This record gives sequence, C-alpha cells and structure tokens, in this order.
Amino acid sequence: MAKTILVVDDSASLRQVVGIALKGAGYDVIEGRDGADALTKCTGQKIHLVVCDVNMPNMDGITFVKEFKKLASYRFTPVIMLTTESQESKKEEGKAAGAKAWVVKPFKPEVLLGAVAKLVLP
Amino acid sequence: METIFGVEASFKQLFASFALAAAGGAGTIVAGWTAWGWYTVLWAALLLAGAAWCAFGPAAGGQAPGGDSMIGRYLHGRDAFGAAVLPVWSRHLENSRTQMEDAVADLATRFSSIVDKLDHALRVSSLEGNQGGQSMTAVFSHSASQLASVVASMKSAMLSKQAMLGQIRDLERFTRELRDMAEGVASIAAQTNLLALNAAIEAARAGPAGAGFAVVAQEVRHLSSRSAETGRNISQRVGQISSAILAASQAAEASSDAEDQSMQSAEGMIDSVLADFRTMTDALVQSSDLLKQESIAIQGEVGEALVQLQFQDRVSQVMSHVRENLALMPTVLEENRRHFEATGELLAPDPAPLLDALKSTYAMAEEHAVHSGSRHVAPKATDADEITFF
Repeated sequence: MAKTILVVDDSASLRQVVGIALKGAGYDVIEGRDGADALTKCTGQKIHLVVCDVNMPNMDGITFVKEFKKLASYRFTPVIMLTTESQESKKEEGKAAGAKAWVVKPFKPEVLLGAVAKLVLP
Repeated sequence: METIFGVEASFKQLFASFALAAAGGAGTIVAGWTAWGWYTVLWAALLLAGAAWCAFGPAAGGQAPGGDSMIGRYLHGRDAFGAAVLPVWSRHLENSRTQMEDAVADLATRFSSIVDKLDHALRVSSLEGNQGGQSMTAVFSHSASQLASVVASMKSAMLSKQAMLGQIRDLERFTRELRDMAEGVASIAAQTNLLALNAAIEAARAGPAGAGFAVVAQEVRHLSSRSAETGRNISQRVGQISSAILAASQAAEASSDAEDQSMQSAEGMIDSVLADFRTMTDALVQSSDLLKQESIAIQGEVGEALVQLQFQDRVSQVMSHVRENLALMPTVLEENRRHFEATGELLAPDPAPLLDALKSTYAMAEEHAVHSGSRHVAPKATDADEITFF
C-alpha cells in the first residue's frame, strides 16, 4: 500500500511540482493550501511524511509544524521544510518546531525524493 | 516641485516681511511727524509683530496649516494620485502574479499528465509487465517448450507405430512358416496315402488273411485324404491371412510414410512460426528498450522543466512583496502631508520606512542581493549535499 505524504504550499504550481515528483515515486499525495488548510486534512488518517513551505498566508509553515506536532496521531510524523528561506535563524526555528530537514527551493526532484526516502515512516 | 514650492514660499515670506516693514517705517515716520505719541509706538509694534509672523510663522507658505494653499492642494492631490494609481498598479501586479501562477500550475499539470501517460505507455508496452508479470520472452519460451513437447510426443507416437509395423512384418513371417507347415502336412498326407495304397495292395495280395489289414489301409488312406484336405485348407487360410497381413502392413507403411512427411512438415512449420515469433519478439524487445530509454530521457527533461518552473514561486513571492510595499505608499504620502499640515514643515517623503518594510518581507537571498543593487543570477536547484537534516 502506497505511503501518504501531505504537501503544504500556498503555490498551486509548487504543489503540482512536488506532487509529480512524489506520485512518480509511488507515494499518495494530499495537499494543503496553507498551514490552516493543511490542519483540516490531519484528521487521524495515516500520514507518513509532510513536505511544508514556510511563508504562507493564514498560517505559516513554522506555526503549522508546531500545531501539527501537538496532534497525538502525528507526533512522530517527520516534516521536511521546503522553502525559499535559507537563513540560519529560520532553519533554527524550523528545527525548534520539530522539522527533520530543510530543503531550499528550487529543488531537484531526485534530491527531495532522497530526503523523503530517508525520513518517511515505515 | 518641492524645490519650486520651497523657493516660492521663501519669496512670499520675504515679500510679506519687507512689505510690513516698509509700511511700519512709513507709519512711524508719519506718526512721528504728527506727534501722536503712544499710538505711534503701538502701531510700530503691531507692524513688527506682523512682519515677524510672516517671516517665521508656521504658515510660511502663506496660509494656515491645512489650508487651501498651493502646497496643501498639491499634497492632497498627491494623496489622491497615490490612492488612484497605486491600487491599479497593485491589481495589475496581483493579476499578473495570479495569471502566472495559474499558467504555471496548468503547465505543471500538463507535464504531470505527460509523465503519467509515459509511465502508462511504458507499463503497457513493457515486456516485463505483460500478462500478470509474464514477459513476452517468457511467453515465447513457454510456447516453444510446449510446441517442442508436442513434436516430441508426435515423434514418440511415430516410433510406436513403426514398432507396431515391425511386429506386423513379424506376423507375415509367422504366416509364411505356417504355410510351410501346412504344405508339410499336405506332403505327409500324400506320403501316407501312398503308403496306405501300398499297404492295401499288399493286403490284397495276402488274400483273406490280409482282409483286416486291407480295412486298416483303407482307413489310413481315408485319414490321409482328410489330412491332405485339412492341410490344403490350412494353407489356403494362411494364404488369406498372409495376404491380409501384407495388405495391412503395406497400408500401415504408406500411412507411416505420410505421417512422417506430415510430421516433418509440421515440425518445419513450427520452427518457421517460432522463428517469426522470435523475430517479432526481438523487435518488440528492442522497441520496448528504446521506448524505455526515451521515456527515461523525457522524464529527465520533464524533471528539469519542473525545476525551472519553480521560478514562478520565487517571482510570485517577489511580486507579492512589491505589491504589499506599494500598498504602504498611500500611508507614507498621507503621513507626509499630515506632518506638513501639523508643523508647516515640508519634507520629502522618507524612502527608508518603505524600503525597511520591503526588506523585512524578503525570504530569498536573491531579494537581498537585488535590493543592495548587486547583479544576481537565478539560484541553482538544491543539491543533495545542501539539504539540512536536523
């Protein structure tokens, strides 16, 4: 059974790009338009990994990760931050929130898939 | 305009001061001549105060703060200009950003569709994924094996038939022996008949004493006659059987020859069909390999295109930041006008707050680089060793 990955990004095109890469590798993908929208998708079903942008309207990525990690079902679900942000201070924020990796856009699909394969839950 | 207005304000100030000073001087002289005393001093003080107010008062533009002076009208007009133009610019920016995002999302969807179709075509044509995991090559091998077993089975049947034919030939030999044996019986019967005839002659010569022996000789002749007839019958039957066996043997041989030819023909046809099948299979394998290679190459190209499409996200962010910054401009202009209205001090709008606000929105290194005026090329896609794992 395919593993499910939640992709959170306010850019529809980026969600598409990430989705193409992940679906091509055999993952199922669910999407969130921003942090708040993504939280509504976290209703207890198995999510094996999250790929999340940082700068988004309504709820930014760092806040989302903090809220996501509060949910008992997803406490151990790994999160990869995929963002244009490259400042160390932002990375530290992501790490403190509970993210497991930080990938700076633009990204190569195979690079993202490598990180996903390394972190995705069994 | 500000400079022009600044010059105009100074000119007005000086003009008003000089006018009041001249009027004051003239009034003082006239009052002195007329010796009006305290009235003269009061008049001069009022005129001096008026001159000072004109020269240094808050309404250096010639009007009270917030009045209908040219500067005030200009500043209000500037606010209106900003309120009219900036939203339009913002809407155009947002519209362009949205269109670009929609177009790129659509493009990404189409690329996704291309990749899916390629995958599907590859799966369908793949010799590894056909018929429940059974490859075309495996189907060929299985078919060849089954046909070979059919041919082997037919050859085995042919050998059995030839063995049966050999046994029929053996039967013919046995019937020949039986015929010889029947002829031997006939010969013995003839010899016995001759012997009985001689015995009868000798019995007749013996007279009455040989009467009994004559009866025996007669019976022996009778038996030899029956033996000869039986021998003839056996010989006749064996001849018939031999003929039947010979006919059957000939028919079986003819049938065996025909079957052998059919067998060889069938084997040749099977070899030919398998060779054609092999040629087709090899061609399909080559086509499939080529399709696979091309598909991988196209997927690589699509992957590279998807990397390039990510420019939209960066450009969209930059446009959003600029749009948000543009939206602050009316407030800056309004504050500038309010400052003038409150203090009468006409200042050029300060770019620093706007630029600081813009800078605070930057997320990308390229934005900072562009902001500082340096040339910046589009960033390359992140390599694996650039990922930060926590």
